[in-house]
Amino acid sequence: MNNSLLVVVLASGVAYGTPLLYGALGELLAERSGVLNLGVEGMMLVGAVMGFWTVQRLHADTALSLAAAVGVAALAGMAMAAIHAFLVITLRASQIVSGLALTIFAGAAGLSSYLGNDLNLADNPARHAFNAAVFPSSMQGWPIVGPIIFGQNVLVYASWVCVVGVSLYLSRTRLGLNVRAVGEAPASADAMGINVTAYRYAHTLAGGAFAGVAGATFTLAITPQWVSGITGGAGWIAIALVIFAFWRPALCLVGAYFFGALQALSPQLQARGINLGPTELWANSLPYVMTVVVLVFVSASGARRRLGAPASLGLPYVREER
Amino acid sequence: MTVQSEKDRRGADGAPPPPAVEMRGIVKRFPGVLANDRVDFEAAAGEVHALLGENGAGKSTLSNILTGLYRPDAGEIFIDGEPVQFHSPRDALDARIFMVHQHFRLVEPFTVAENVVLGDHRGEGRTFRLRHRAIEQRVAELSKRYGLAVDPRARVWQLSLGEQQRVEILKALYREARILILDEPTAVLTPQEADVLFETLREMAAEGRTVVFISHKLHEVKAVADRVTVLRGGRSVATVSAADATLRSLASLMVGRELDSGQPARARTPGEPVLELTDVWSDADRGDSAVRGASLVVRGGEIVAVAGVAGNGQRELAETVAGMRRATRGKILVCGKAIRAGDPRSAIAAGVAYVPEDRLGTGVAPSLSIASNLALKGYRERSSSHGPLLRIGRIREHAVELIQRYSIAAPGPGAPARLLSGGNLQKVVLAREFSGKPRLLIAASPTRGLDVGAIETVHAYLREAAADGVGVLLISEDLDEILLLADRVAVMYEGAIVGETSREEADVEEIGLLMAGGQDPRAD
Amino acid sequence: MRIERRLRQPRWLIVAVPAGSLVFAFFAAGLVLYATGHNALSSYRQIVDAAFLNSGAIGQTLTQATPLAFTGLAAAAAFRMRLFNIGAEGQLFMGAITADAAGLYLGGHGWPTALVIFAMVIAGCAGGAAWALIPGALRAFFKTNEIITSLMLNYVAAYVLTYLVFNTESYWRQTKGFNASVFPTSKTLPNDALWPSAMIHARGGIALPLGAGIAVLVAFLLWFLFTRTRFGFEAQVLGDSPRAAQYAGMRTRRKILAVMGISGAVAGLGGASQVGDFAHMLDADPNGLQKQYYGYTGIVVAALARYNPLAVVVVAFLIGALQNAGNTLQGADFPSGLVGVMQGIILFSALGGELLVRYRVRVGRTMPATEAA
Repeated sequence: MNNSLLVVVLASGVAYGTPLLYGALGELLAERSGVLNLGVEGMMLVGAVMGFWTVQRLHADTALSLAAAVGVAALAGMAMAAIHAFLVITLRASQIVSGLALTIFAGAAGLSSYLGNDLNLADNPARHAFNAAVFPSSMQGWPIVGPIIFGQNVLVYASWVCVVGVSLYLSRTRLGLNVRAVGEAPASADAMGINVTAYRYAHTLAGGAFAGVAGATFTLAITPQWVSGITGGAGWIAIALVIFAFWRPALCLVGAYFFGALQALSPQLQARGINLGPTELWANSLPYVMTVVVLVFVSASGARRRLGAPASLGLPYVREER
Repeated sequence: MTVQSEKDRRGADGAPPPPAVEMRGIVKRFPGVLANDRVDFEAAAGEVHALLGENGAGKSTLSNILTGLYRPDAGEIFIDGEPVQFHSPRDALDARIFMVHQHFRLVEPFTVAENVVLGDHRGEGRTFRLRHRAIEQRVAELSKRYGLAVDPRARVWQLSLGEQQRVEILKALYREARILILDEPTAVLTPQEADVLFETLREMAAEGRTVVFISHKLHEVKAVADRVTVLRGGRSVATVSAADATLRSLASLMVGRELDSGQPARARTPGEPVLELTDVWSDADRGDSAVRGASLVVRGGEIVAVAGVAGNGQRELAETVAGMRRATRGKILVCGKAIRAGDPRSAIAAGVAYVPEDRLGTGVAPSLSIASNLALKGYRERSSSHGPLLRIGRIREHAVELIQRYSIAAPGPGAPARLLSGGNLQKVVLAREFSGKPRLLIAASPTRGLDVGAIETVHAYLREAAADGVGVLLISEDLDEILLLADRVAVMYEGAIVGETSREEADVEEIGLLMAGGQDPRAD
Repeated sequence: MRIERRLRQPRWLIVAVPAGSLVFAFFAAGLVLYATGHNALSSYRQIVDAAFLNSGAIGQTLTQATPLAFTGLAAAAAFRMRLFNIGAEGQLFMGAITADAAGLYLGGHGWPTALVIFAMVIAGCAGGAAWALIPGALRAFFKTNEIITSLMLNYVAAYVLTYLVFNTESYWRQTKGFNASVFPTSKTLPNDALWPSAMIHARGGIALPLGAGIAVLVAFLLWFLFTRTRFGFEAQVLGDSPRAAQYAGMRTRRKILAVMGISGAVAGLGGASQVGDFAHMLDADPNGLQKQYYGYTGIVVAALARYNPLAVVVVAFLIGALQNAGNTLQGADFPSGLVGVMQGIILFSALGGELLVRYRVRVGRTMPATEAA
């Protein structure tokens, strides 16, 4: 039963969906504060390379190196996000162009590749990696829930904690209320003594940290090695996922696993010799096409605002202007 | 609630207490504008102090400085005689200074309670976790005590502007504000609602608070204030006691010269109907219907004003007639011919000119040159283009001519429109709209934010248009302006025209009641 | 420190800022090189040699600059109207696919080369335009954000391209020959579908590809369209303020569709030029066309040129030179990825420099607000 197509696809969907989930959670935080960051792909790649570098070079036991690697990846992502934050918050540059610039700067033909090659990270598999042995193998063997829920690695479980955390943070805490106010109506938040700039910086940086961890998920868990451009566009899907999820963390989780499962589907079908025409073409394209379809639905329903798009998303806030 | 005991205010030695607020020599510059030029201002605890001045006199700038939004280039601020320096709005809030801005500072998707607690770090909002229940309870208490009825759980976007104003005042009360500043608070109220507000303000002053009331309307200032400080051209020109001042003396202080009280227009004979609306409906931006069965006739050569509290569908009505909003039901005839719903080009072709409320952004494209903006509607005509090609020279010549004829103060036809002042921007819009030889002119709040000189110019142009036989549909929230200009007044309430009267028979009291849907808030 | 809006933008700043950005980028990238233990100066010397001075270098640079000019023009045409079409990448792939089909179908039948090339140009434009019209129509009719949709379609286009080369029944797939049975590849264009180039006898011969000439022509056409026609006027108004455009009775939907179509057509033309001028086949090699990121780099080009079509051509040449150096050089002084880093920094500094054009930065003279009372 656990080898049935559905269970295998769902189980690997959770694994493939995890970086999407981390990336989307980070982007969600930034966007809720009003900052659109199209540089997720770039931040992810730099996180991926720096996390990998840490496990290769740090001589410590598995747990410690992995923890350090995730921390370094988060910091690296944050550093990238800081460039974007400075440009769009302080210098009021176009958020769209700046985000694209960040992806070009940090992305597959940029800094991540520079660092990976310069630090000689290619060709060697990771010295430590997140494996799935968190729960005893007997539990992992349970029907259906075994592989899907108990057969995952620590990063997956940590992402669940993050979903709950971000969700509660936004809906139940004072800081969360302030962030939402900053994203919706910065002038109102400002008049009520909330430091718009500080909130936007903090959440853009937090978004970078999540993206860095998302990248590390690739190099430390999914395919524990480094190759240039390892994320393969996951950053862009993460951005789309935020819209897909109507800016809600719990829906990000659903969407991430859905897209993850789509990614897992094509190799599984091939492995089982099931031929559905140009399987590879449609299974690979499906996440992107689905995103477009959902976007159309979201915008055509005319309920964008009620669905949660922060009203000031993408707009710089300047107080002293006449 | 007594904010300060009498003893505190008197000081230990029995000397007169220092004023609650004192601002000395405030200077604030913006690029190209000296908004405040050594302004002095002081207000005592327990008084309603009006800040009077026409648009652009520096009232809002001064209050934004007092609330920490702007930092002054020079000058000092004292609260109860103590020098203070506000680095951010938070500092001012901590000094218990609160401002109700003209454009409310509310977060629309939030509930009333969430808005009230936003940014609070002393009361219910102090805890890391939000306790919605406790906050809502506190807000309900306050609204009951001060008779400011709003449901704490309602979302702000569901509220009328009058209710939103109550939320702002609740925010101030929640923070136990000692100094409350209100910027043009009556703009969103009917005359009767304004009376209620004045009562609330007097009550708040009686509790020992300082209420600063910003307005450019003389009779309001006279009605509510104890003292009046007049600003003109960025300077403070006088502080007088409201009881001693007359409307005339305040007016001359405000404008700096005697004001001709606007000669009533000479009698005009209305011609054929140029606009006939029959049971017109159209949607608001957010789903629901904004215009609900409006019917109205405007004849050539007359000025018909639509009065109403902001948010009752007047803006949407103007947009519907101009074709910018699709009419979902009903008939719109311009000069007897139906225009295509939701097609501005069809309206323009039928002779509809439109001066929109949002000048910068709708009325003009801000980054484009003045010449381009003057050609915004005429570029399709023979005079400006040759098939698909533009005749750039002709467009420029035409612009130069219009700039001269309408005496638009501009660096040149090539300068971007956003550099113009509000008055000159409005002249650009009017020049363009008139050059299209319209049959019907819709003017939506055409004088909002303009100074007295520019207002007079705009009024003169509207009268001239009517004299030329153009039907003018004036949409305004300013009853004074309406009574000055209109031949007929129609009152709009919740999307429908609920009453109509000629100017001769117009009665402010009655119009005010119609604006409130027939209810008198003073009744209880 | 205080930032104030400029009332007037000095003209010299509009040129000085991008130029300053380039200088700053070289300085900042130098720091990156220095920090990672490389010799920045020798790296830069190598760049200049590989981009301009070596024999055949300029030809190589043109090979890179030509597609960048097309994608840059595509981005400039759309971004000018604030239509953020970042799908030039996919539109270029689609143009390459359709132009290649036209070349394969019409070539080799003894028809005049000019006719075949013309058909390829039209096919490339049509392919790119059709692909761009998907996000364009969604934007025009459903107000769907074109940024994400155009971007998502890039990936779809890449998968389509790969599929067409790898699928055994594909029209584009090469089925004959020894190599074809070892590794899937696409058919090569017949000789009469190849685009000619003009030789300039200097520096060991510079081949000026036909595509480069077309790109310059397109730049002039776009410039004319945007500054001298009613269409351009409407696009300008719509880009500045959609409300004002609606107010003035402009047909905004048609304009969105037209501008996206033009943008896509220009990108597709870049694909046609890729096939006709350089690759002569459909290139599905993951390290080939898809690793060049012409579509994305085109946005860098357009932004640096401040969306001015004529400036795009110049900037495309410079960025193409950098790209060429990156492809040619690999080694201790020139780590891979440096080109992306430099492009990123150039763009960052240009964006930051925008602030200087729009605002004046003043070191504040705020008088003390209080004195001893």
